[in-house]
Amino acid sequence: EPEQPPLPSPPRNKYQNARRVLNSAETLNLPGREEQLQELREFFSSHLDTQTSGSLYVSGQPGTGKTACLSMLLRAPEYAQRLQRVYINCTSIASVGAVYKKLCMELQLKPTGRTERDHLEAIQRHLRKAKRMLLLVLDEIDQLSTTRQEVLYTIFEWPALPGARILLVGIANSLDLTDRALMRLNARCELKPRLMHFPPYTKPQIVEIFKSRLAEAQVLDVFPPVTLQLLAAKVSAVSGDVRRALDIGRRVVEIAEQQKCAGEKEFNMKALELDGPPAEETLKPVQVSQVAAVLNKVYGASQNLEEDIEEAFPLQQKLMLCSLVLMLRNERNKDISVGRLHEVYRRVCSKRNILALDQAEFAGTVDLVETRGILRVMRKKEPRLNKVLLQWDEEEVHAALSDKQLIASILSDTACLAK
Amino acid sequence: TRLADGTPRRSIQLSNIVEQRIFDNNEIISTPKRSRSKLADDADYTPKKSTHKSPGRPRRMSTTGTSTKQKEDAPMTPSQKMKKIRAGELSPSMEQRHQQLDVGHKSQLQLAREQLHVSVVPKSLPCREKEFDNIYSFLEGKIQDQCGGCMYVSGVPGTGKTATVTGVIRTLQRLVEQDKLPAFEFLEINGMRLTEPRQAYVQIYKQLTGKTVSWEHAHSLLEKRFTTPAPRRLTTVLLVDELDILCNRRQDVVYNLLDWPTKSAAHLVVVTIANTMDLPERLLMGKVTSRLGLTRLTFQPYTHKQLQEIVTARLAGSEAFKGEAVQLVARKVAAVSGDARRALDICRRATEIADTGSEPTANAATKCVTMLHVQQALGEMIASAKVQAIKNCSRMEQIFLQAVAAEVTRTGVEETMFHGVYTQIETIATFMGVALPAPGRALNICSKLGAERLIICEHSRNDLFQKILLNVSPDDIHYALRVEGN
Repeated sequence: EPEQPPLPSPPRNKYQNARRVLNSAETLNLPGREEQLQELREFFSSHLDTQTSGSLYVSGQPGTGKTACLSMLLRAPEYAQRLQRVYINCTSIASVGAVYKKLCMELQLKPTGRTERDHLEAIQRHLRKAKRMLLLVLDEIDQLSTTRQEVLYTIFEWPALPGARILLVGIANSLDLTDRALMRLNARCELKPRLMHFPPYTKPQIVEIFKSRLAEAQVLDVFPPVTLQLLAAKVSAVSGDVRRALDIGRRVVEIAEQQKCAGEKEFNMKALELDGPPAEETLKPVQVSQVAAVLNKVYGASQNLEEDIEEAFPLQQKLMLCSLVLMLRNERNKDISVGRLHEVYRRVCSKRNILALDQAEFAGTVDLVETRGILRVMRKKEPRLNKVLLQWDEEEVHAALSDKQLIASILSDTACLAK
Repeated sequence: TRLADGTPRRSIQLSNIVEQRIFDNNEIISTPKRSRSKLADDADYTPKKSTHKSPGRPRRMSTTGTSTKQKEDAPMTPSQKMKKIRAGELSPSMEQRHQQLDVGHKSQLQLAREQLHVSVVPKSLPCREKEFDNIYSFLEGKIQDQCGGCMYVSGVPGTGKTATVTGVIRTLQRLVEQDKLPAFEFLEINGMRLTEPRQAYVQIYKQLTGKTVSWEHAHSLLEKRFTTPAPRRLTTVLLVDELDILCNRRQDVVYNLLDWPTKSAAHLVVVTIANTMDLPERLLMGKVTSRLGLTRLTFQPYTHKQLQEIVTARLAGSEAFKGEAVQLVARKVAAVSGDARRALDICRRATEIADTGSEPTANAATKCVTMLHVQQALGEMIASAKVQAIKNCSRMEQIFLQAVAAEVTRTGVEETMFHGVYTQIETIATFMGVALPAPGRALNICSKLGAERLIICEHSRNDLFQKILLNVSPDDIHYALRVEGN
């Protein structure tokens, strides 16, 4: 086949460069995690020097850079000679017991049989007489948790096997997985894994991450410092998850680019009229208002519903919600079934001279409202007996319905409740 | 050859041309009698889904070489056939119609009915321009940047989610053909079409290579593909429909699907579609939600204006519908769900009603759907059959229902006991002057009403103490019985 030359890529502007560099893929540069990296290095080198086994449990919220740190150390050349390195993501195994098989494949061992036990024996044989020390990183280790915890106990007992030289690192989200799931390890101090926590990123750390990323592509001027501070303050206050921060950053750039394109179009139209020379490329840094808009959209989940909803909230769904609020307000019994709600709804409808839906259709309407997250329906044996639970508070519902007159008239209509 | 399991003699007589033509392009075969039996054989092992939609497919379908080689070695055993199917060397085909239908002159209404069918996706979706632009700019940016990412699209059923996303993909593919965009691969899975979440790996791998392998194998091959860097890797766009079905307890499938885009070697863009707006927070684990990201888009239900626009765009200048008829459908549907499919279905039903209309003398060409037809269609589709059912109950059943309602009013509790209801029956029967049924008979009536789902009752083994709940509203009972009384 004739080799086609790659498409001549159009000259990329700074927005596009910034967008590309703010991806949430792996990086080699981890600002903000120097301490943790140092601690990990010390752990590795101390065990390498004494040639003893050790286990470590790394915990932290999603997006705090646990996997990034360890995969960086796994690639580090200084350990290449002295350590045999294995990385296993525990979500990618077929079942909990299959982790041994996967490890055998990674270590290129040849078990005698095909059962789980054979694989385990092969690993233990290897551990006893391996030439190099083994560094085993088990990512998302909470996937290995079962009721009896056989597999987790077996794995965490490997460092205490006589003659074994293994550095075991488990990564998961929960802070106390080892205490909660592996209580028996506390009985023997040599088995207990060392704990290490990755705290959520703080505001200066997120700013630092953004700066280093943007500087990498020399597009630091896209984000003025004020906007970075705002973004980092918000994200660090809510979750400290750097994936979210990068996501928001990228979104801001995308929106800024779109707005600039729209602006340029108008500008060009004017330029055509004036027959002037085309304007040269100028960079418009993102505004605080743009960042604030994206943040509001992302974090104000229910508030920003109202602007989209407006009239798109079907009338019968509005009536249903109003009836529900009316019942919750005025009745002591908050245990509301679809049947009871339907009775009240029918009375509300007949008072307003609107054709009411019948029960089958009404159950479908309740389900549609459930997809918005306003309700939750607890399933029972019969559709009529399903329980309806309001998930928002009334103020939010009022805001979302944005039809104050209707709500007010229904909420004052307590006569609909009584028989 | 491959079709000749039952009657080898006859199908050996089939010419090679037939064979090749099947392989080349899924075309109808010209020899009528033979082709029928031949294709009937084919249909036996037709997989559920036709797969020739994916763009990666046609390249590998050019298996004419193998087919000419095949014709020397005669019939295949079933396992050989299975092997060929799993290797993707036999394309599944459907039995064709014996003759093309003779479509004569179509009336206005028939044309309108065809246009209104839900499966006819228009070239550009009306009233979804904003969402189209949103998805378009996201995907275009990702393809140009050659990096991965995720997007979550949500909205109630029938609001045009899948149609918009596939429309964006089609537009992008057209741009690729014009060399305005780097090429990309498009894969598509639907959670509902999978028997098990892990079958997603099999489907994805099948769309990449055409081969069917076990899920473990498919998963490891995909993992290899997405984690090892390849210099000339194309961006892959993966559309995951019905995401909530893919969530099991471990959530490993969803995790993997959303974790691959974060690998820099993968160049994978995942667009996920589901109904629930807050699915990531409600159902998914924290680590999965974190990977899903914040690029989200919600499709709001259609308003009545939009529904009207959709229907009129489909009808496109046809005179078959009166304007106010369309408006009535749009308003009724928008008040309940805003589901475009429903509006189209009601319109189709209305054309059918107009077609078989009461006046047979009217000229077929001038037939037109009016408000009355639409009203009838709406009555059928948004109908409550409960009142009819109560009206058609036997006298004693009606008395039973009245008795349950009376007992509910008396006690104030929704749940009634059979003996309480029976006392009420006694009263009502005496009042009306009908003979009282024995309790055993009343239990029969009770279980019959329970089977009809007019009431909810327990098993009749705890006779007098079984609990009875009304499954219709008491007002319905009064209404049905009062109207009849008059």
